Amino acid sequence: MSRTNSDTGVLQVALAGSPNCGKTSLFNGLTGSRQHVGNYAGVTVERRNGYYTFDGQKVEVRDLPGSYSLSSFSPEEMIAQRELVDERPDVVVVVVDSTSLKRSLVLLAQVMQNSKKIVLCLNMSDEAKKSGQKIDIPLLTKLLGFPVVETVGHKNVGLDQLKERIAEAAAAQPRKSRLMLGERLERAIDHVADALQSTEAPNDARQWYAVKILQNDPLFVNRILEMGAAGKAVLDIAEKEREQLESFTGEDVSMYVTERYYGFVDGLLREVTIQVSHIDTRILSDRIDAIVVHRIMGIPIFLAVMYGIFWLTFTAGAYPMDWIDQFFGFLADTIVAYWPQNQAFEVQSLIVDGIIGGVGGVLVFLPNIVLLFLGLAILQDSGYMSRAAFLTDKLMHKFGLHGRSFIPLVTGFGCTIPGIMATRTMENERDRLATMLVLPLMSCGARLPIWMLLIPAFFVPALHAPMLFAIYFIGIFLAFLLALLLRNTVLKGEEAPFVMELPPYRLPTLRSVVSRMMMSSWAYLKKAGTMILGISIVMWALTTYPKYSDPADTGDAVPVAAADTASADKEASFKQLEHSIAGRIGKFIEPVIAPLGFDWKIGVATIGAFTAKEVFVSQLGVIYALGEDTSETDLTLRDELAQDYSPLIGFSLMLFLLIATPCMATVAITKKESGSWKWPALQFFGLTAIAYLLSLLVFQIGTLLGL
Amino acid sequence: MELHDTTLKSIQLSESLEDYMETIFELVRDNKLARIKDIAKARDVRSASVIPAMRRLSEMGLITYEKREYIDLTPAGERVARRVYARHRLLTRFFRDILGIPNEFAQKDACALEHSLSDEGMDHIVRFFEFIQSCPEGGDVIARLQTCSLVNSDKKQCTGGCAIRHKEHVPSPAQMKTLRQIKPGESCNIIRINGTGAIRQRILDMGLMPGINVYVERVSPAGDPMWIKFQGSQLSLRLKEAETVLVNPE
Repeated sequence: MSRTNSDTGVLQVALAGSPNCGKTSLFNGLTGSRQHVGNYAGVTVERRNGYYTFDGQKVEVRDLPGSYSLSSFSPEEMIAQRELVDERPDVVVVVVDSTSLKRSLVLLAQVMQNSKKIVLCLNMSDEAKKSGQKIDIPLLTKLLGFPVVETVGHKNVGLDQLKERIAEAAAAQPRKSRLMLGERLERAIDHVADALQSTEAPNDARQWYAVKILQNDPLFVNRILEMGAAGKAVLDIAEKEREQLESFTGEDVSMYVTERYYGFVDGLLREVTIQVSHIDTRILSDRIDAIVVHRIMGIPIFLAVMYGIFWLTFTAGAYPMDWIDQFFGFLADTIVAYWPQNQAFEVQSLIVDGIIGGVGGVLVFLPNIVLLFLGLAILQDSGYMSRAAFLTDKLMHKFGLHGRSFIPLVTGFGCTIPGIMATRTMENERDRLATMLVLPLMSCGARLPIWMLLIPAFFVPALHAPMLFAIYFIGIFLAFLLALLLRNTVLKGEEAPFVMELPPYRLPTLRSVVSRMMMSSWAYLKKAGTMILGISIVMWALTTYPKYSDPADTGDAVPVAAADTASADKEASFKQLEHSIAGRIGKFIEPVIAPLGFDWKIGVATIGAFTAKEVFVSQLGVIYALGEDTSETDLTLRDELAQDYSPLIGFSLMLFLLIATPCMATVAITKKESGSWKWPALQFFGLTAIAYLLSLLVFQIGTLLGL
Repeated sequence: MELHDTTLKSIQLSESLEDYMETIFELVRDNKLARIKDIAKARDVRSASVIPAMRRLSEMGLITYEKREYIDLTPAGERVARRVYARHRLLTRFFRDILGIPNEFAQKDACALEHSLSDEGMDHIVRFFEFIQSCPEGGDVIARLQTCSLVNSDKKQCTGGCAIRHKEHVPSPAQMKTLRQIKPGESCNIIRINGTGAIRQRILDMGLMPGINVYVERVSPAGDPMWIKFQGSQLSLRLKEAETVLVNPE
């Protein structure tokens, strides 16, 4: 039986590989549905592990974040490195893209320095063969001293062999690494590694520590520094070796080491490449690119693609959204209808208004999300995503963002939730966080009803379109401005490299597109669902308690005339809201929001808008005692609003609603995607503070100007 | 090896006599004795033509030669033979181990050169060997020479692994450009990657290294990231990043 590093008897396997090497589809193929997707603590990097059983042995697979090399520059690389060096999995599977072996194998060379039991997995081998490349697998296995297997991840080809090889590698005796980096470098590494014997650096990882210390990698240098005097001695030796190497090569050690990795890979490939009749499979891909990223046509084509995704997400998605909406409406009505009269009314209210209202309100977005992710998966799998980044990077970069920010930001006009989820396509953590944090400023679809209610209420028809445009524009402008601010303050740091692979176009397979889509949707349902359920209940309680009882009401259930029921209900809900905690909070904060021109009624509605932005409209409806079925075209509500507030207040209010307090689903999803409460907190309070300041400025200056 | 023995210079031997001395030296060393038959065999000549040469060498006091007897080197003869032998060996090693000439040719060339190479020239080769052995970088230099793809195969491109070589080809600063300055449709050779940190590491990880030939395919319609092709793969990088790559335009 294979050796395992845990007492549980589960074989620990790590999948390492660069982005775009097809590692994820391989992971899905290996583990099927038995997987868990989460986040590494405190970072946006996704953590995925899954299980499979082979030959009676339970195997846990970890899908390490995609990284081109094991350095300490990006969170992905750092985590991949930590998982290998510190967690020490039993077997490391290095997945490489067979179509660019040379570049991919550098990672293998690095893994050979820190892991003993390795399986090399030549993925996308079908494509490589098509281009005329043939690899002598037995010879490669012999030269490397560990198993090599060819797979086609997205077609599930070679999975059984891979499982076999993993078991084989796990059972094999660990051998000396056959990595060759040249006498000079190896000697330097050995000197440092020998010196490391006197420190607490783990035995198996000594070579790796040595290489990293030679390269002056801050992570490892700090670790060694923490080891006191022995560590200091190691650093001195490393310093000497580094100087010698550098005076010899005339280059810095990092460059030299990378060169030696390439040297090893090059030699290896020369040995094992049987025949290369180089067929350029990129001809078609190049032809597509000649059109798709064309100087003139590139941008229009990009916009058309974006429109297509939008249409798919929001127009085609509207139908299933309606069905879900109707289903929950039906569910609520049914419960109300069949609920035993006058019994446990609170529970009914909790279920219908709280849970169904809240969770249903979130589930309604599911079709959007499924469809958006279908579109994104196609864009990503086909290779168009990197072209889109190529086209938009200049604009995004001006504001401290990345080419890949564009699609999530535009998606945000539909709904912030899928927009935030779409930031997953971004490699760099800081870029991703910046994009996520400013995303609520893209005026989402749920805010459209608010603009539809407020703009006609306060402005003459000639101003309707310009006002709507202004609101959207202000949002975009602020988003860019804030992104720039974030990247220069909280998210300050060395700019992430844009250096990005442009893989050839590939026809996405149904399997991989569907599985990507399902994973994302399921994650949305599970995580956001649970959190949103909680917040929904809280919001329900805030508007329901304490119960208002009419002093005039004797408490007896006196039958009321049918005609009066409606107005009595409205009256009751107004009183209830005023009496509830939310109402009291509204009144309590009135002094705070008064400088913005708002009164307690707006305060309450704004608090309600936290559940979902469009709730603002129905809340106002309740307050103005117009019943729950207020729609944005309701003339009476508009008239009432126009009576109570000036256009200046209206504008100040719109600004506030645009910028302030993203809805609870946004907060929940930001927490999930960023892996910490810190970022949603910053988003929530930061945006609210900015909203307050801007509305204050607008209202006060406007008032001074006599508007 | 004593090569400065001035007494040796007085003895002038013809090429063929030197070769005979060398053969005798080898036979005596390996078999403790040398017979006419063995010498003829080793030199691939008839025994009849060996005998006059042996007589001459014997007359010069370099060997002891009696008819039907074994041949041995006199002390003076051994000195001469050693000198020739050492030259042969040194030259063979130089040709074969350092320059990488296949053994067969290395032997042939050594045989031809050992007679005509001046003592001064010989002395420098010896010093070269001493340098290789005592210098810590010596072994690497040889290894680099022998694995260098530019020298050893017909490849036009360096496949990496040698930083020193590129220095010889560094063009004048006037010729040097950054990758950013290369127009779409033009090619260039990478000379150096400047810059630091993550960007530099990423550029290296992607395989953009000195010696690599890069073709600029296009620039984004917005004017910023550029799109390059090299060794069958395609990358995009920002102009700011391309600025850190020093190139030699083609």
